Amino acid sequence: MAGIYLHIPFCKHKCTYCDFTSFPDRLSFAEAYMACLYKEIELRGKQLESYTFDTVYFGGGTPSVIDPKYIYGAMKQIKKCFHLAKNPEITIEMNPGTVSEQKIALYKKAGIDRFSVGLQTAIDEQLKNLGRIHTARDFVYTCGLLKGENFSADVMLGLKGQTKEDVFKTIELASRCGAKHISMYALTPEDGTPIYTDYLNGELPDGDEVRELYDYGYSLLKERGYHRYEVSNFAKKGFESRHNLNYWQRGEYIGLGISASSFICGKRFSNTFDLDEYIKCVLSGFLPVVESENVEKEDAKFEFVMLALRTVYGISAHKYAESFGSDWKSDFADAYQKTRMYFEEDGDVTRIKDEYLYVQNQILTEYMNG
Amino acid sequence: MAKPNRNLRNFCIIAHIDHGKSTIADRIMELTGQVSKRDMEEQLLDSMDIERERGITIKLAPVRMYYTALDGQEYEFNLIDTPGHVDFTYEVSRSLAACEGALLVVDATQGVEAQTLANVYLALENDLEIIPVINKIDLQSARIDEAKQEIEDVIGLDCEGCPCVSAKEGTNIRDILEAVVKQIPPPEGDTEAPLKALIFDSYYDNYKGVILFVRLKDGTVKVGDKIKAALSDKTYEVTEVGAFAPFLQPKESLQAGEVGYIAASIKSIEDVAVGDTVIFADKPETPPLPGYKKVQPVVFCGIYPLDGSKFLDLKEAILKLKLNDASLVFEPDNSVALGFGFRCGFLGLLHMEIIQERIEREFNLDIITTAPSVSYLVHKTDGTSFYVDNPSHLPSPSDIDYMEEPIVKAEIYSPPDYLGSIMDLCQDKRGVFKDMTYLDARRVKLEYRLPLNEIVYDFFDELKSRTRGYASFDYEIAGYERSKLVRMDILLNGEICDALSIIVHEDRAYPRGRTLCENLKDAIPRQLFEIPVQAAIGGKIIARETVKAVRKDVLAKCYGGDITRKKKLLEKQKEGKKRMRQIGTVQVPSEVFMQILKTNKD
Repeated sequence: MAGIYLHIPFCKHKCTYCDFTSFPDRLSFAEAYMACLYKEIELRGKQLESYTFDTVYFGGGTPSVIDPKYIYGAMKQIKKCFHLAKNPEITIEMNPGTVSEQKIALYKKAGIDRFSVGLQTAIDEQLKNLGRIHTARDFVYTCGLLKGENFSADVMLGLKGQTKEDVFKTIELASRCGAKHISMYALTPEDGTPIYTDYLNGELPDGDEVRELYDYGYSLLKERGYHRYEVSNFAKKGFESRHNLNYWQRGEYIGLGISASSFICGKRFSNTFDLDEYIKCVLSGFLPVVESENVEKEDAKFEFVMLALRTVYGISAHKYAESFGSDWKSDFADAYQKTRMYFEEDGDVTRIKDEYLYVQNQILTEYMNG
Repeated sequence: MAKPNRNLRNFCIIAHIDHGKSTIADRIMELTGQVSKRDMEEQLLDSMDIERERGITIKLAPVRMYYTALDGQEYEFNLIDTPGHVDFTYEVSRSLAACEGALLVVDATQGVEAQTLANVYLALENDLEIIPVINKIDLQSARIDEAKQEIEDVIGLDCEGCPCVSAKEGTNIRDILEAVVKQIPPPEGDTEAPLKALIFDSYYDNYKGVILFVRLKDGTVKVGDKIKAALSDKTYEVTEVGAFAPFLQPKESLQAGEVGYIAASIKSIEDVAVGDTVIFADKPETPPLPGYKKVQPVVFCGIYPLDGSKFLDLKEAILKLKLNDASLVFEPDNSVALGFGFRCGFLGLLHMEIIQERIEREFNLDIITTAPSVSYLVHKTDGTSFYVDNPSHLPSPSDIDYMEEPIVKAEIYSPPDYLGSIMDLCQDKRGVFKDMTYLDARRVKLEYRLPLNEIVYDFFDELKSRTRGYASFDYEIAGYERSKLVRMDILLNGEICDALSIIVHEDRAYPRGRTLCENLKDAIPRQLFEIPVQAAIGGKIIARETVKAVRKDVLAKCYGGDITRKKKLLEKQKEGKKRMRQIGTVQVPSEVFMQILKTNKD
């Protein structure tokens, strides 16, 4: 398995919690940027001829904010420059305030078969606080356009003033509108974002309160047939995100576009975060890579454990052995002894018990070196 | 018999903290051309980082200067800076023994302070000539005449014509130097007699070995001489002698009356004790000089390496500090919770703090220190009695007949406005009122008898906050008194943590236990399981708090770009864990062991 990620760094308005690379109100750059992205696809394609990719993911920013012809163009270029597997999963992120029937039609023509819709909350006042440009109604409208499609809804926890009732309304709305997949994230206030001020002033729910909302949301999702397959991801059977699962299985992926990260050929690296630099670099025929790190074997083992424990599939002893030629419980003997009471064993598989999934950092630090 | 140099003056400066001692020393050095103004670093003699930061002197530091007096003659001065805090009286007595005179610096706005008195009496005992110096005359609030009157009344020194200066502005500094020339006598002694040099300090130099700071009472010493310490058998060959300028400056020889240093490739810091006398190896019968009065530590605490494998590094650090701080006492100790470490004794709380800080800074070691304790006299039912300063060494209650605790005689000086709150505080701390005197309209002296264990707890902080810093406080040990004392243990997740045990007065146990559990609850980070924090006396639980289990500790999103970030985040979290000790099943941050000191929740 290997994935392709494309970053579309444009949006109408920056959300108050967003710390991704995105340029609000600079849609006029889209033409130039996409031209560069096509060029980067071509450069990378030559380098990765031996690879077959089975997922493609358009993230942002708001990929749906730009003219859909660019998305169509990007897909055309990808198909030309990379080997895609049969039945690839191709996802695009959408903001409910930016969709139209034509857009979705063109996405489908481009081969896109999965849609990730940013709902966040069904409470309009909270949407406004988050700096979202849409209402709950817009979400309903979007879902109407996506009828019968495989789409996912993003839901946020830990919003200012959020109650269980609000979580109920949000999950109920997403579920009724036909989402096959729901990502339920805790808001992470990042330094430098406007919402960080709320956090510093103690206006956001604390960890205990977020956990309450999460447990409640988890039970609602379960009732509605969404099973948890990762800390923040829930799906109807068979609708798990293949692209994201690849990350947690330590699969390879190539990131294209400004600020995109990659993990391929044993290296983790990132593209530049600077738009000018990105454009100049690609136009001169160079890959815009800025930070690159070789992942050493010990580090790779830790990554395997850290990522696998995020999912309900846990650590598979034989898959670990296939990757590293050793037994993970011996490689991490001390840590395993210290933490085994937080695990459940299921044949070859070790996973974190349900109640500890949300406090897993405490467990993971035991597995770090030094 | 050959007399020492008639134009030599050895003197020190006595002053209360903040009265401007180090600044005066700086000005004197400037005026004698010892250091140019341009090269002056503020507080030149305070060479330790901690000294500069806290604006205090901990270690005595000597310096040699030349001064051409108004009589046209050139004089050689040896100035020995001394610490002002009462905890460092021992250091002061060491410098006094190397001098013939002392400058008593008094702040014109503050008058004579309690802590200064102890040092003045020490100087008088040593027959030193004392020159009063009134400092800070530039300040609006300076009360020069009152300060003089106070010196005459309280100490009985004649202040007629004494130097009145402003060290800050450099006013009248020359008056001090002239007074030194005229009033302080030149040293006695015989430069041709067999060598007798008092070791008043030392430190370890990586290249030269132990450097001895000496005051020669008799004789002459030069490179190549064979020497020994009177109380030790090892002999050494002198490799270097010199003066303090203020950095080590080699010279050909040192003579009776002079202050300087001797290096003799002395490798082991245990072989040459401060207070001992350096003599010629071939004249072992030379009688040693009277050394120093041994000082008794009054405050004790355990010091352990944060990383258990660093025990030997800690040992080396403590040995090296001992070399230049003879008042530090220690013995190896072993705690169930903290492993191998040392039980150390100090002259006071400030002394303890300084030593802890020096270990961390000068030796780059992370340490855990337990709450300070005092030394109790335990009388067992079998008729034996002994001192215990480590709560975990206390025998079981059934074996104890009764216990005694150290009591201090405390003097508190304060403006009258705070009398009420000071008396409340002393009452709170089991104090017994003894006397009250109005020194003048603005200052009152309160005398109390207080248990030392209440003082090492939080008395200083409380006194400062209740009097907005106006009160000053001095104490001396006044003996032992019978008292109802019990050991209070702290249980973390059901297990006793011996490093947190304390000895308290029975009447204080309940509130202390409650506060302690509350403080610990806040200081111990939430972990994967619920942690009961309990205080117990002899198996009976008297207070309980609970550290709730952590509920959320996860990175919500972990996609392609987040993986590196997540690793960094976990690394940071891991670093935090390294600052903690595993006590049974519980991770405990190193600061927790000092939480015992806090009275109230922050």
